[in-house]
Amino acid sequence: MPKVLACYKWVVDGADVTVKKDLSVEKRFESKISDYDRNAIEAAVVAAKAMGCEAIGLTFGTERSKLSAKPALSRGLKEAYWINAPEAATADGKITADALAAAIRKIGDVSLVICSDGASDTLARQTAPRIGALLDWPVVTAVTKLTIEGNRMTATRKLEDCLEIVNVEFPVVVSVLPDINPAPLPGLAAIMGSAKKKTTEIKGEELGIAFSTNTEVTEVKGYAMDRKNILFKEGEMADKVRELANVLKKEGVF
Amino acid sequence: MAGIYIYSDKLDAAAELVAFAKSAGKHAVVLTVSEDAAGQSVNLGADKVYLLECGNGRIESYGKAIATLLKEEDADLFAVSSTVRGREIAANVAGYLDCAMVSDIRSAEFVDGKLVTVRMIYGGAVIQTEAITGLCVMTVQTGLFDAGGSTAAAELVKKSIQPDNRVCTSSTEPVVKEGVDLKKADRIVSVGLGLNKKEDIQIAQDLADVIGAEVGCSRGIAEERRWMPESRYIGITGVQVKPLLYLAMGISGQAQHIYGIKDSRIIVAVNTNESAPIFRAADYGIVGDMYEVIPLLTEALKNI
Repeated sequence: MPKVLACYKWVVDGADVTVKKDLSVEKRFESKISDYDRNAIEAAVVAAKAMGCEAIGLTFGTERSKLSAKPALSRGLKEAYWINAPEAATADGKITADALAAAIRKIGDVSLVICSDGASDTLARQTAPRIGALLDWPVVTAVTKLTIEGNRMTATRKLEDCLEIVNVEFPVVVSVLPDINPAPLPGLAAIMGSAKKKTTEIKGEELGIAFSTNTEVTEVKGYAMDRKNILFKEGEMADKVRELANVLKKEGVF
Repeated sequence: MAGIYIYSDKLDAAAELVAFAKSAGKHAVVLTVSEDAAGQSVNLGADKVYLLECGNGRIESYGKAIATLLKEEDADLFAVSSTVRGREIAANVAGYLDCAMVSDIRSAEFVDGKLVTVRMIYGGAVIQTEAITGLCVMTVQTGLFDAGGSTAAAELVKKSIQPDNRVCTSSTEPVVKEGVDLKKADRIVSVGLGLNKKEDIQIAQDLADVIGAEVGCSRGIAEERRWMPESRYIGITGVQVKPLLYLAMGISGQAQHIYGIKDSRIIVAVNTNESAPIFRAADYGIVGDMYEVIPLLTEALKNI
């Protein structure tokens, strides 16, 4: 039976990225499904229902990405695969797509791959078109609506100045915008039920790829904004607001 | 011909990429898929303009063909403007070439034969510098490079290549833009998840009316709660604004939002949480409830 596969990324929450005074960057561990990937998972679940088949999830990460399986499965996926590779910690778009495409081949019988437009950490927006190229499948990006009819799909793409409606036969790789669905929070029953669903580990070395790229990261530093950082703390709230209003008048912003 | 190969569905952006290529001492080669685009591109100062023929005029259909062309021509770089079509073709070509791609770069230069790029990650909180060896792909937002102004005529070459016709366009519809263009606003009152219900946007609107501002919002209000249209969402994937005054009300200040407001002249933050990141990005702040502060500020700024 064909499958619908949602690619998702287990990422560091933006709130857990701290820029120090010397502009060095501290990050906590990955702890959530990338924001827009929740919409991709929901889109896969909805598409699978329309196709009468199963929606499965796939992620590429380090050992810690195993923690992503339950949150992903609680969103309605039937089964989750996770590629466990230390190389994921420093992977760029090329390595990520190489790994995901190789895993999709290995899983087999996938008709529709759904990614989000971009990950909330890097927002490189490369994964879907790259996977399409590596599998030599057609690609449709920036999708806000999907309609399945037999072995064909009609998709509405949101471009800068127009909506474009396209038709394509399966297999196909799509990226979806968050507009496609609301991606609701899973209920308690779904969260409890996720523990009973199947999770499969794919070790990086099983994929037969080189995990190599021609990019080298030479510097990572925090972005500092040069701001006044003045807090009005004294007096009652009305006093603070009056002080703020006076300062703004002096700033010449009206 | 070695050099920088360029695609943009916007002529001004193509001119900027041509100017970047020439400033880097490289040949500039512009790829087009229609007679109109080819005709308009020959006077951008490029060395060559390719008109890729025998297709459906849909650039996304040329991923494999462009990858083959770049290899045949021994290209140094495929530079693409960061539009929806541009991002798709750029990453698709990078996939067929199985080479590196850097997205939405903030700067790029060739150093010792390597392309050195800077881009922002974690929603703009972190700056990452990368050095790329060999052929690669990059996407660039319009306006990053100056257009240069050269109108030297390029050689126009028609090249017949095989497009991928598996994706067919059946129709297009114009997008109806809702709301205002926040990019042009001098003052913006913006609300975040501190807002309890949709109807309460009115208190922000009341303040906006008093100071001649537009009302904007954070991602959560537009994309999660869907209380305001996308045109009013400010952030790295929304609108990036540069008003004289930006009032952030009940906005925590996640990096992706800060990226969208970083070019504001004065930023004011109001939030109940003193350790909210928005205060680190603000010129002035009040730790307090937006429901208490906004009406007071509205009153205080009447008759300015």
